[in-house]
Amino acid sequence: MTMIELTPDAKLRFEQYLQRMRESLRGRPAVETAEVEQNVREHVEVALAAAPVPVGTDSLAAVLEQLGPPEQWLPEEERPAWRRTMDRLMTGPEDWRLPYLSIGLMALMLLTLPIGGFLLLLPAFLLSRAWVAVIEERGETLDARRWLVLPPIVIVFVSLLFVAVIGVVVLAGAAAVEHDLRSIGIPEPGTSAEAIFGFSGYILSAAGVWWLVLSLILVWLLEPIRNLFSPILTKVRRRHLLIFAGVAAVCLVLGLGLMGVAQSPTVHALGERLR
Amino acid sequence: MSDAFYENWTTQLRKGLLELAILNVLADGPLYGYEIVRRLGDVESLVITEGTVYPILSRLRTEEHVDSYIEESSSGPPRKYYRLTPRGRSQLRRMNEHWQRLHQGIGRLRKDHGR
Repeated sequence: MTMIELTPDAKLRFEQYLQRMRESLRGRPAVETAEVEQNVREHVEVALAAAPVPVGTDSLAAVLEQLGPPEQWLPEEERPAWRRTMDRLMTGPEDWRLPYLSIGLMALMLLTLPIGGFLLLLPAFLLSRAWVAVIEERGETLDARRWLVLPPIVIVFVSLLFVAVIGVVVLAGAAAVEHDLRSIGIPEPGTSAEAIFGFSGYILSAAGVWWLVLSLILVWLLEPIRNLFSPILTKVRRRHLLIFAGVAAVCLVLGLGLMGVAQSPTVHALGERLR
Repeated sequence: MSDAFYENWTTQLRKGLLELAILNVLADGPLYGYEIVRRLGDVESLVITEGTVYPILSRLRTEEHVDSYIEESSSGPPRKYYRLTPRGRSQLRRMNEHWQRLHQGIGRLRKDHGR
């Protein structure tokens, strides 16, 4: 750790810079990232030794500017092939090349939907996500280009979310419709009051159970999922998933309640009257 | 010669010469990273981004051309010093000879063309 005292902003800036450095040196067996980091920390400490403490962002920025962007420290030919490709894509006019590629693939996907164009969504998503990663690495903010790169990320996320939230519930409903599951206590759909209450309760219970499981999975995997769908999930926190788990628990209780009510004499009598 | 061509050429030349320059700086004795950067900075246009020096130092160490040790400093944190190994010294001699031949050769070409 650095021994000089930095302001919180400067500390954050320095850590971001070191993170960029670690990323850019990754995969280079001849260069020890830890050694370079130690040297950079020492360099910054010596360069700022005479600066008034706590050292602010401006003083730090001047030293980091002299050190230069870590992405440019390595000779082109020694950098991993994927990074060279990415950098070539990124060095287009005003860094727009990658977002243009992404939105271009999206447009092509829409045009070729009838012949399996939806498969282009995956490379469009990867291009968009790569651009977001590069921008985050550089410590820059998403600008107008977000309108070009966010659609694939949003579409993939919403699709997966829909399948994850609704898919299992639909499967549970379909299983009850297609197979006689009364032997295990699952009611059949129908038009009688008992069937309506019972089947609705079953669907609600199934949703509640699955959503509880899903919320646990999401809590467990929150960090990787948030990274995968950055920046749209950046603000999602565990408390939001706990709210989702709470909704699931309420659905489960309501569902079980409805299934219980379906067996009651009152509903039976109501059904008889309607017949 | 266009600006872009010139920029690219000087960048390539600088990158190729930086290892030679680092080894030469260390020929006089051990130095720590910041001091190496400062001395290289005295050579105009050699070091544009100072950080470039550190991955090269790390590579020179893993290739055993230099080794390093930590020494306490009276004016700050402990510093990591680099020094030439016998292998590095031998390599530096070869590189300097090669550079000398190149320099003389280019000089002759310039003279031959009357420039």
